[in-house]
Amino acid sequence: MAENTAPQTTDGEGRVIIRTVGLKKSYIMKDVVTEALRGVNMEIFTGEFISVMGPSGSGKSTFFNMIGALDSPTTGRVFIDEVDVAQLTAEELAYLRCHKIGYIFQSYNLIKYMTALENVTTPMAFGGVQPDQARERGMDLLDLVGLKERWHHRPIEMSGGQQQRVAIARSLANNPSVLLCDEPTANLDLHTGQDILNILRKLNKEKGVTIICATHDHRMMDICDRLMWIRDGQIDRIARRDEVHVEVGGIGGMDE
Amino acid sequence: MKKEINVANQPWLGFSRIIQITVDGIRYRLFRASVTVAVIAVAVAFLMNILSESLIKRSVARDTRDRIHEMRLILDWSSRLTTPGNPESVLREVARSTPGGPIYQEVAGMAGLDEATMTAFHQKCSQGNSYLDFFANLDYAKRRNLIHTATGIGIFRRLQTPNGMEQFTKSLADIHSIRFTTSLDDLNTFLTDWGKLQVQLQAVVAARAKAVAQIRQQLAGKPITDALADATGSFGDTVRQAGFVFDGETVAPLVASQAQAELDVKRLQESMDSNACKQLIAQRANVLPADVNVIMMWKYLGNAKFATRYLERMKQENEKAIAYEQKMKNAPPKAEGETKATIDDTEQGTRLNVAGLVPERLVELAEARDMQASLLRAERLTVGAGLGFMGLGERLAWLLFVSLLVCGIGIANAMLMTVTERFTEIATLKCLGALDGFIMLMFVLESSFLGVVGGVIGAILGALIGLSRMLAAFGLNFAGAIPATDIVVAVFASVAMGMLLAGIAAVLPSFKAARLAPMEAMRIE
Ligand SMILES: Nc1ncnc2c1ncn2[C@@H]1O[C@H](COP(=O)(O)OP(=O)(O)OP(=O)(O)O)[C@@H](O)[C@H]1O
Ligand SMILES: [Mg+2]
Repeated sequence: MAENTAPQTTDGEGRVIIRTVGLKKSYIMKDVVTEALRGVNMEIFTGEFISVMGPSGSGKSTFFNMIGALDSPTTGRVFIDEVDVAQLTAEELAYLRCHKIGYIFQSYNLIKYMTALENVTTPMAFGGVQPDQARERGMDLLDLVGLKERWHHRPIEMSGGQQQRVAIARSLANNPSVLLCDEPTANLDLHTGQDILNILRKLNKEKGVTIICATHDHRMMDICDRLMWIRDGQIDRIARRDEVHVEVGGIGGMDE
Repeated sequence: MKKEINVANQPWLGFSRIIQITVDGIRYRLFRASVTVAVIAVAVAFLMNILSESLIKRSVARDTRDRIHEMRLILDWSSRLTTPGNPESVLREVARSTPGGPIYQEVAGMAGLDEATMTAFHQKCSQGNSYLDFFANLDYAKRRNLIHTATGIGIFRRLQTPNGMEQFTKSLADIHSIRFTTSLDDLNTFLTDWGKLQVQLQAVVAARAKAVAQIRQQLAGKPITDALADATGSFGDTVRQAGFVFDGETVAPLVASQAQAELDVKRLQESMDSNACKQLIAQRANVLPADVNVIMMWKYLGNAKFATRYLERMKQENEKAIAYEQKMKNAPPKAEGETKATIDDTEQGTRLNVAGLVPERLVELAEARDMQASLLRAERLTVGAGLGFMGLGERLAWLLFVSLLVCGIGIANAMLMTVTERFTEIATLKCLGALDGFIMLMFVLESSFLGVVGGVIGAILGALIGLSRMLAAFGLNFAGAIPATDIVVAVFASVAMGMLLAGIAAVLPSFKAARLAPMEAMRIE
């Protein structure tokens, strides 16, 4: 299925940056086995902006955790830049998570006892950036998401949307090559959501950051290169945006 | 193939930044942290309390033993100078004496033994003593199996008979749980020589009896205590002439002063015969004169002002008694009935020996009595100290072990709680590129820090409680026996203990969480 959406869609470069082979994940809780992913084969190319869609509980977040090297698959393999994630040492994994991949979690996962600025600068500190430099860059990032005035606030003192924006700023801390966004606009109003989308698009177009984005937001379809539908832990369909727009009436039922 | 993602090793985070993150975390969870600190403090305080009390008890026990031994010098010498003892007591005494020591020399001198004979004698006595100890420590059933009803040196007599020996060897082979102190061959040689040894012992007893007779002659019916009060003077010489080793420099002055004290105490206690004296105390203690007893008297005499007053009253009574006697002698004898009517109780007085008594002496005696009472109390309270682990006594050592366990489990529980609460945080930090080592270090640092704070609070608290409890139990007389250095070392040890336990308790769960993939850690409840 992945093959028919050819590389030519992606700025001509067409290098595979993330590839999954027969990816399966089942959660075992006592006797109940939940199969969250049932064999996903997927290729994502450098500089691509791809939207992942699917009903709630279809396995989007699970898929993100796998390709972000945050969780180990039950079977199957994940290659990041043609390197098998399972082969990496703990130090290399930490480096990968710190410098190369940015994560925006569905539940933000901010550190509770750190201020907004500290949350943003923590990945930089892990990456070895000097504190002064980290501070400066952290303020720039907060400015980018419109929270410059709130840099000293703790997560508990901020609204859901504001926390989400801090999480976005944090994901950009070390100029990642790949950005994994789990519902980045879910808690934002139309206007702010649009701002965030603009930022993502700009990152994608100007810096060539590969963006993988789980969303229910229809506007995302306007800016992404490809769309991928997941249903019951399996890829339902993958399509280029232009293809989708042609048959726009048909997808209404598919999405959500 | 050119790779955009060049995987490298993640660098280590600066130590100051780790500390900063750790401290931020603690500050944010200040309440939770203070609860943890409190748990650690209580656990360490418990440990430290037991430890400090054990140490104080151990040291007090040592101190008491020495002081009580000294206190009983007068009793020792009173009996030594008046009774010659028997072969068995001589055997034990010689066995316990150190070669060259006073008893050793005294026995050698009195019985006229040369050095070689004395050495052999001493050695034989020690052997015999070890046998007697062995039989004394057996329980009744085993003892009866081995030697029937024989006791003391009667045991040797029984073992010398063929029947007695046969029963002994057979039972010894049957009862596997006991081990004899020496080989049976050694026992046999000892028994062969027993007759000779007995003769030697008898000779010592005879020599002693002679010396005692000499002393008795000198005493001429005077109580021994009276004579011993003069131990530094001529009586000391008499004792030495009789053949006793009685050191004029070290032992005699102690014995003399103790004898004097005993005499003075007796004189003071005789004042309890006087109603007028009793009245003085009764006024103070707010009781009836008839209820005044010796204990009240000593308490009253502990105060210098009262002691002066009391001595004054004693002198008055004595003078009154002398005057009355005089008057009775001069007055013409009266008929029976008449006498009873004219005798006035308040006029009669009581003969009291107040010669040489001064108020300071009264206070001194009262204090010495107090000290003796507290010594005896301390001896009772420290029974068993000196045995077991570190000389702490078996009970205390066991208590210490239990408190260590309680301390360990308390701290481990507190730390486990704080770490497990934070698995989400661990997972998030890992997602942001934290190394496993960083996460562990962060937690170990945090809990060690809490451990140190809790440990210091607990150790000081525990030491203070232990100290005041022990002071209350033993009295201020023993303030000098408090082992200050030991307690300081114990404080440091308990702080280290708290820190170490807290650190270890944090290592295990954080190691478990840090090793997992971030999302797996996030899923741990
Ligand atoms: N920790 C877990 N233990 C057990 N089952 C889980 C766990 N996490 C997810 N699942 C199950 O895996 C399936 C996929 O979950 P996932 O979170 O990937 O869905 P999703 O597509 O992200 O949904 P949403 O749009 O609501 O975020 C669901 O059926 C869910 O019940
Ligand atoms: Mg999800």
